[in-house]
Amino acid sequence: MTVIELSHVTKSFNVGKSNQFTAVDDVSLAIEPGRLTILKGPSGSGKTTLLSLIGCMSRPSSGRIRLRGVRTAFLPAEETEAGFDISSLPERFLTEIRRTTFGFIFQQFNLVRGVSVLENIMLPAYPTTESHAAFQARARELLRLFDISRHASSRVEWLSGGELQRVAIARALINDPAVIIADEPTAHLDSKLSREFMEIVATFKAQGKTVLIASHDPIAYDSHLADRVVEMRDGRTTADWPHP
Amino acid sequence: MNTSLNRHRNIIDFALSSLLRRKMKNFSLLALYTLIVFVIASLLFFVHALKREATLLLADAPDMVVQRLMAGRHDLIPVAYAEKIRSLPGVSTVTPRLWGYYYDPVFGANYTLTVPPKPTVEPGNILVGAEVSRNQRVSEGDMVAFRTAAHVPLLLTVKGIYPAASNLVAADLIIMSAEDFQAMFDLPKAHATDLAVTVANPRELATVATKIVEAFPDARPILKSEMLRTYDSIFDWRGGMMVVILSAAVLSFVIFAWDKATGLSAEERREIGILKSIGWETADVLYLKLWEGIVISLSAFLLGGLLAYGHVFFFSASLFEHALKGWAVLYPRFKLVPTVDSYHLAVLFFLTVLPYTTATIVPAWLAATADPDAAMRS
Repeated sequence: MTVIELSHVTKSFNVGKSNQFTAVDDVSLAIEPGRLTILKGPSGSGKTTLLSLIGCMSRPSSGRIRLRGVRTAFLPAEETEAGFDISSLPERFLTEIRRTTFGFIFQQFNLVRGVSVLENIMLPAYPTTESHAAFQARARELLRLFDISRHASSRVEWLSGGELQRVAIARALINDPAVIIADEPTAHLDSKLSREFMEIVATFKAQGKTVLIASHDPIAYDSHLADRVVEMRDGRTTADWPHP
Repeated sequence: MNTSLNRHRNIIDFALSSLLRRKMKNFSLLALYTLIVFVIASLLFFVHALKREATLLLADAPDMVVQRLMAGRHDLIPVAYAEKIRSLPGVSTVTPRLWGYYYDPVFGANYTLTVPPKPTVEPGNILVGAEVSRNQRVSEGDMVAFRTAAHVPLLLTVKGIYPAASNLVAADLIIMSAEDFQAMFDLPKAHATDLAVTVANPRELATVATKIVEAFPDARPILKSEMLRTYDSIFDWRGGMMVVILSAAVLSFVIFAWDKATGLSAEERREIGILKSIGWETADVLYLKLWEGIVISLSAFLLGGLLAYGHVFFFSASLFEHALKGWAVLYPRFKLVPTVDSYHLAVLFFLTVLPYTTATIVPAWLAATADPDAAMRS
């Protein structure tokens, strides 16, 4: 089971310039495996930056992030089980962890226009050593699971908001990641679709996946599915409590 | 089976579908690119084939030609010179040659008249090139009237016509007997146009030439190597004319590649950001763009090259013919022998495929080195 530990993590931008600002300020946090953790807070509180640090998209300016239980090609299994520091890993290694361990659901969905739904779902699997046939079969299975098989060959720009959301979720799952990271996943959805999204999150939990959601939508952070809510403001964690 | 080959295959697969989604843009790009390669390749093939023809033509040329100069101009040479040159050590044979040009005012064409060293036609008969036969509208057995130097008609019978395949050499050629040649130009009998000299040891050519000049101060020996150089410069002059066209084509290619290089759209940048955020390495993005570039440029290279080959060797470079072939009214209609220089192909490849692919890669590389978290913030 993957565990993520953040220790005094700070992320600053434009360091040394007049417009320097600190998006994440001295955050320490341990994310437990198989649980749903919600990062709650207003816009600009540092939620998205924290998610990008956890998801190996950027490196902290200071502090350490450790991952435990992640399988990688560049480290022996014993070391990864014991946990390793990702704060200073080269980009290549971070990319490999990002591809194999994390599944991302972005606020704007970030699907590639002009290519089919099926290809969009398969995108994270293309630069892997797996055969095309193998991950295509998995993508079709995900299409069935999310009831969007009929759109397999449609271009993404022809889909509705709810369908786009499901394509984005299917894409996040194509490499069978241990951790799902979702940034404001319900921001562009109505209440009905937002609740549907939370039902899908329930299935992730049932599969034992660790889920991290950044949201300021009550449908997400007030959900009975949330195991823990971490509140953020001005780059710092201001409250951290298990969900009642 | 999981292999690293799969990774490349998968990326190529996506590169192809990525190209297909911008069908109009990419097909027009391919068409323009093919056109440029076609023009450049046609020029290279054409010049190379002409040079090869010229080299073959001169392969049978004598080691040395001796002319006589009078007031700095080429004059008729006394046949008696031949005897004395033949007696020089190292000289194998000396053959007096008769050749000249004839302008036909009726048809407005220049013909090259020559007498073969060994009698090939009887007096009163001629052999003509295919273009002469077409121009004069004569066929085998017909009579042709030429005007002699004394403005008296000279009637000659066409005994044979050179096949069109030998047109580059024989298009404007008329072969006749020495008697008819002398009658036509009122040539003194003991004179020739020049002397063809062969030397047993090629290393002695320069020495023999010096001895000829010593014996006959008015003689001008021309070595075969000098003739080759002259022919080369004639074709290179033509090549030089083509260099102008070539540079225009290359320049348009550079503009085209530059446009492509600076033309990475916001949409393409966004896509690269998405790919990076979902686990594509910078190298994977570059592979993708490399394959996109290779598919376009290699297709254009092969297509343009094949079209140019057909144009030059099967359609006799019909698009360039009036600008680049022949210098008289008789444009020779000939088919060049298909010949392609691997060096030229390599030059074409390095001039077209490499710059284009680089032009595709560089902006993609600049975009792909952006932080993957940029997609989170878009």
